[in-house]
Amino acid sequence: MDLLTTSVATGDSDGGPYTLVALAGEADVTNSGALRELLDAEVAKEPRTLVIDLSELRFMDSSALHVVLRANRTMDRQGGVLALAGPRDPVAKMLRLTAADQLLPVYASVAEATAE
Amino acid sequence: MKEKEHAAPSRIPPRARLPLPPPGDGATYLTYRTDLAKVRALVLQQATAAGLSESRANDLVLAVSEVAANTLRHTDSAGILTIWLEAGEVVCEIQDEGTITDPLAGQRKPGPDADGGHGLWLVYQVCDLVELRSDEAGTAVRMHMEIGLPAS
Repeated sequence: MDLLTTSVATGDSDGGPYTLVALAGEADVTNSGALRELLDAEVAKEPRTLVIDLSELRFMDSSALHVVLRANRTMDRQGGVLALAGPRDPVAKMLRLTAADQLLPVYASVAEATAE
Repeated sequence: MKEKEHAAPSRIPPRARLPLPPPGDGATYLTYRTDLAKVRALVLQQATAAGLSESRANDLVLAVSEVAANTLRHTDSAGILTIWLEAGEVVCEIQDEGTITDPLAGQRKPGPDADGGHGLWLVYQVCDLVELRSDEAGTAVRMHMEIGLPAS
């Protein structure tokens, strides 16, 4: 069984169309390359909004965070928005300590992330 | 007050260069290469059994995982995780064959968008005490968490 599983979906809400990438398991340096490839591919489609659902992610390390921040920079350049949704306590703490939560929005749920 | 009493030290205090004392009795050992999930699971199990709160156990898991990840990021060597209890603390040590040359490694807060350097900095943020020894032969990072302290 893979340490990190991912799924991609698209949706539409009051806020407009969005891409939803859901991560489950544990994201660390050993799978950050695969995560980067996935996010690169989705960001390249130039979505207006990209939401990463973290509700099933038990663990995230700084390598995985860097991959997310890299995707955020590209989305920024493209005029899109990257948001994180539903981080569990350990992941939320890491986002806070690194001040990543000041670089990109972190919502309590996917619903809140896609509402705008 | 004589000026000489406040002269800057001419060298690092000797204790800071001594090798770290050996681990306590009943230590648990794990050699890892790429299986960081196993490293994290063992730390979580031992930290929880020792009585660390869920939040602080997760803090220790993050710290140990980041140091172990550095073994993969910066070396070709395997690493050794040692866990033991000592003086009311859970202690985790990571040893590998890498060398940290920056005396301020982990002690400077990286900008949020920095390309690297968050790993060791996080370790210093969440652990109660971090001891680091590094030379050409290898590196040891020893992380202490006091049992019974509230989450921070």
